[in-house]
Amino acid sequence: MVNHHMAQRTWGFWINRGIIHALLISAALFYLLPLVVMLLTSFKTMDDIRAGNLISFPAEFVIEPWIKAWSSACTGVKCEGVGSYFFNSVQIVVPAVLISTALGAINGYVLTKWRFRGSELFFGLLLFGCFIPFQVVLLPMAQTLGWLGIANTTTGLVLVHVAYGVAFTTLFFRNFYVNIPSELVKAAQLDGAGFFKIFWRILLPISGPIIVVTIIWQTTQIWNDFLFGVVYGSGETQPITVALNNLVNTSTGVKEYNVHMAAAIIAGLPTLLVYVLAGKYFVRGLTAGSVKG
Amino acid sequence: MAALEIDNVRKVFGGKTEVLKGINISIENGEFLILVGPSGCGKSTLMNSIAGLESITDGQIRIGGEDVSGRSPKDRDIAMVFQSYALYPSMNVRDNIAFGLEMRKVPKEDRLNEVNRVAKMLQIEHLLDRKPSQLSGGQRQRVAMGRALARKPKIYLFDEPLSNLDAKLRVEMRTEIKKLHQNLGTTIVYVTHDQIEAMTLADRIAVMKDGIVQQFGTPQEIYDEPANIFVAGFMGSPAMNFIPAPIQKEQGQLVAKVTTAGGQTYSLPLGKRGENLEKYEGRKVILGVRPERISEVNITEVEREDVVVVKTKTEIVEPTGPDTLIHITLNGVEVGCRVAPDSAVKAGEDMEFMVDLSKAVFFDSETEARI
Repeated sequence: MVNHHMAQRTWGFWINRGIIHALLISAALFYLLPLVVMLLTSFKTMDDIRAGNLISFPAEFVIEPWIKAWSSACTGVKCEGVGSYFFNSVQIVVPAVLISTALGAINGYVLTKWRFRGSELFFGLLLFGCFIPFQVVLLPMAQTLGWLGIANTTTGLVLVHVAYGVAFTTLFFRNFYVNIPSELVKAAQLDGAGFFKIFWRILLPISGPIIVVTIIWQTTQIWNDFLFGVVYGSGETQPITVALNNLVNTSTGVKEYNVHMAAAIIAGLPTLLVYVLAGKYFVRGLTAGSVKG
Repeated sequence: MAALEIDNVRKVFGGKTEVLKGINISIENGEFLILVGPSGCGKSTLMNSIAGLESITDGQIRIGGEDVSGRSPKDRDIAMVFQSYALYPSMNVRDNIAFGLEMRKVPKEDRLNEVNRVAKMLQIEHLLDRKPSQLSGGQRQRVAMGRALARKPKIYLFDEPLSNLDAKLRVEMRTEIKKLHQNLGTTIVYVTHDQIEAMTLADRIAVMKDGIVQQFGTPQEIYDEPANIFVAGFMGSPAMNFIPAPIQKEQGQLVAKVTTAGGQTYSLPLGKRGENLEKYEGRKVILGVRPERISEVNITEVEREDVVVVKTKTEIVEPTGPDTLIHITLNGVEVGCRVAPDSAVKAGEDMEFMVDLSKAVFFDSETEARI
């Protein structure tokens, strides 16, 4: 009797599990499919692509499309691949991420621990920055870059991304620091520490999770940016997203899907990598503060 | 020389809300001052003002005779223990204690010696390498005190330091703090809303309400001679009984009349305690008697002039262990009496109580001030 009952429950349990897993696996496959198609296509020859279907394995496994995409594919008039643009992007992303994260940390620190008259209003206005569409700032920003004499330069693009990113980074750090007891700052003040000492010695060492979140967010945003890159960068300074667009839209000759796919994966790899390496901190950081530590 | 003088200090928030309305307090070196009052009375604001974490609108704060009103917290030579302990989460206990010394550029060797001295005194030597998150509440409390002690400041500020501990630990740490104060002879300002902490620890108590010091005195003064109904009701647990009673003259002597629930009326002779009550003859005053002054009849004391025996019905009987609290009704108000457990009767039965008026106090029923 008991055994029969147990068996029944076990069966129900496994059926439930089976359904849940089947759903999860099919959802994962569905989302992975584009990536799989891209990967497969990038290793095929053009003949193979014309003959086979989209998700078949390469008849012959070739690496040439990757090499071509990196070093000799035509992006507009030049035929040097996307490799140099990849480093353009790195040169834009690294300083822009570091500067906007540092500014956001200081802003968040001031807005929570050194409040001044009107600091809430200031924060409210800054928050507006998160909701301003890119298109709205295009013209005024072009004008500003011109005045500053840094139009069409990497410095100019870094400045644009920092200005646009500070709203987000400030929001992240402000919301993180608001949950850190202000008594810590008071205690450090009584201990004789000043504004930067307190930030450096007390707050920054416990900001790990939010720094990771901010860096992932900013890296993804700036690396994936196309509009600012196409408007404010020109020729030598354009980021890889613009180069990828130029590569795909080059109208002469045949469309080399294998090269396009390889270039697209190269363009998307860094953000994927950042998420794979630090993704668990991202989730942890986003939920930090919602659960009392 | 006075260690701390608070001279007519006022604090106004946003030009409107007056949180401190002219505070005057002065304590000597080595004294233990307690600021006590209900939440919102301004005691924490006053403490933050002493620390320099908040500016004052008006008045002066002097530490060791020097005006520090305009100085930043680090230049006031004070240390503070916070309610949440505020230990630096990323540093271990040793670094937490040494941080203040480091900021004051004390050489590393002296810092380590000082940390060891303090750790030994507070018995936290075995915790020095731990992070605050690895400590229990009581241990964090000790570390927080260690951090304050390491700097040897002129004044120690304690902001409700025991309120996050459980009841048993709180009593232990209370004794510990008292011991520390006795051994080191430090000047301490201590904020609490717990009147038992205030009574047990203080040399002097400032009872605050609505931004005003209601009374400033020794614990016994505040307990025996409260300045008004608020102070009398706030200090002492269970609270003092307040019985509205008419004052009359009987046989050339002032008495307060009380009537039991059963309708029996008694005359309570005021004796010496009623010296200032001549002009209240024929009027109602508020008679304040603490529960321990209404007890079971005791043969050795019942003969005294300022003692009256009252017989009435008991309404609620609450045994607490060492004694039993009985509620009765006098002049229509509930009155708590503290009797020995053996002499307590069942609720609803009649019992004889001995009302001792030797410590009775009287308040004006309009102004609520002590007469």
